[in-house]
Amino acid sequence: MKPEDLLRHPLPTQTPKLTLGCPILDRFLGGGIPCDTITEIFAESGTGKTQLSLQLLLAAQLPISRGGLSASSLYLHSEFPFPSRRLHQLSFYRPHLPQNPLDRIFVEPLHSTDHLLDVLPRLDFLVPKLNIKLIVIDSIAALFRGEYENTPLELKRRSGVFFKISSKLKFLAREFGLAVVLTNQVVDVMGSSNNLRIGNSMSLCSSGRTVCAALGLSWANCVNMRLFMWREEEKVGMSEEERLGEGDGSFQRLQTRRFIRVVFAPHLPDSSCEFVIRREGILGVS
Amino acid sequence: MEVSSLPISASHRGKLISAGYSSLSSLSSVSPSKLAQDLKISENEVLKILKVVSARKGGHRKNTLRVDISPPLQSGIPFGVPVPPSPFGCFRLPSLVPSGPTRLRIVGQPFSPAITRAQTAWDILHEEESSICITTSCSDLDEILGGGIRCKEVTEIDTEGSFMVERASQIAEACAEDMLEYNSLLRKDSQACRVDKPPKAFMDNIFYFRICTYTEQIAVVNYLEKFINEHKDIKIVIIDSITFHFRQEFEDMALRTRLLSGMALKLMKLAKKFNLAVVLLNQVTTKYNEGSFQLTLALGDSWAHASTNRIILYWNGNERYAYIDKSPSMRSASAPYAVTSRGIRNSASNCKRVKLM
Repeated sequence: MKPEDLLRHPLPTQTPKLTLGCPILDRFLGGGIPCDTITEIFAESGTGKTQLSLQLLLAAQLPISRGGLSASSLYLHSEFPFPSRRLHQLSFYRPHLPQNPLDRIFVEPLHSTDHLLDVLPRLDFLVPKLNIKLIVIDSIAALFRGEYENTPLELKRRSGVFFKISSKLKFLAREFGLAVVLTNQVVDVMGSSNNLRIGNSMSLCSSGRTVCAALGLSWANCVNMRLFMWREEEKVGMSEEERLGEGDGSFQRLQTRRFIRVVFAPHLPDSSCEFVIRREGILGVS
Repeated sequence: MEVSSLPISASHRGKLISAGYSSLSSLSSVSPSKLAQDLKISENEVLKILKVVSARKGGHRKNTLRVDISPPLQSGIPFGVPVPPSPFGCFRLPSLVPSGPTRLRIVGQPFSPAITRAQTAWDILHEEESSICITTSCSDLDEILGGGIRCKEVTEIDTEGSFMVERASQIAEACAEDMLEYNSLLRKDSQACRVDKPPKAFMDNIFYFRICTYTEQIAVVNYLEKFINEHKDIKIVIIDSITFHFRQEFEDMALRTRLLSGMALKLMKLAKKFNLAVVLLNQVTTKYNEGSFQLTLALGDSWAHASTNRIILYWNGNERYAYIDKSPSMRSASAPYAVTSRGIRNSASNCKRVKLM
């Protein structure tokens, strides 16, 4: 390796992007999930992170003309079980996929951070051999949350591990032009802690709670792009009886609405978009 | 054109040029109140501009006395005398008189070719005043920085990020459009100042290194000297997250400190040798202090000595602010700014005055 090899000149005109499978969501993300960067999606449980990751695993196999990467994907999961049935169902509804799409999705369960640190060096060799262009880790938070105590020394050690993992993932992303997608969980924000404000994580609300991403400030420095998904319970329009005052008022119809938002990204403004989860997968709503 | 090289904010420069004041002599003959009227700014700001102008003019005055010993001897130290204090209150320090045969020479101009290696404080002041400032495109930020990012110094900014080509070309297009608009404000006979670059020309002039480990980072910093020798036009080096690779578990913290200080010295040397601006980006971390967590800058206290200027970017409510934490010539101040699709611009809030701390 010579320093001259690290120079990229002239610059490419566009970063390749992986489509999400829906034109509205692609427009919201400026083309899709960018390659050569680490994207993090964080949300409360049950909002749709795993659904979106499954959708991306299939989208990676689409030909490049349709926004895919024409390659296999790797799914590292720390939350069990692996949703194979849902993946199979999704593959029926995705048009233009090659034959046997499930053959091109490689799955590896993760048990701890040490296990992840063992798996990552093996990818140097596996990624080119299996033609992998997308790595999804679902979820990174679950790996860390059981292992480290809440003392300053342990937290410092934990930060060191964040940077190690992120550095290795960024190396793989650069070396092989991969898109890396991580999912994260949320933690509640107590009170107004002005001194620990993590950048622009102001009023992020999910189901009425004020939340922010798990794993803290150091981890926020490790990812390039962060997306936040949330849901809100909304009362649907009242029925005839309730309007006339005859209904008993206890039977309220609630509807869940889901949104996705860019928390930070180098190339996107702060914007949000509504989406729904259907049988075919996640679709944006304009 | 002399006005265009003054270290004042870009908006004031634009107003001066569009009002017809393109040379320093035209400014010396006008009264402050008339200038305030012509430029439609407050008298305070006019006085500030005129102060900068007189400092600049003072440097070129023919009757500045300077006594120096020529030719410079081995020690190369000239003998200087205090001159009448400039607006900055700086005067040259008398230094050692070398022994042996000497020849006194009185020179009229500050920049004497006889003084090659050693510099007095006066020389450095004039070089600093005439050095190029790279504008941040946000006049409030330029104001607190004293014109912009100075070449020949290391400016550190705390933030995080990564490079996306689409965003760079978006900003390049916006910059090219702004330059075209600026051109229309210039007078017709000022061809030298026209900036007519298409966005692609901006992108071709960005040299981009992508590094993934700390050894690569050190290798590239070592390689920069050779690289800049080959590409003489480089005027600014930006390292986005100098900290990222150093925050992994370094068993030997002493090694980390040595590597970082070595890198800082090399960058300082580069900045001086090639007259470049070096901008380093750092991260913010939490420090456990007496039972509570506080925000502090990454890489520790030893890194604080590495840079000449330090700017901290922070959020205040919903607004972004930049605060000068450390600077040899500008006072501590903070200014709001906003990130728009065209890049960094002035914040559109009501409270636009620069807050002095």
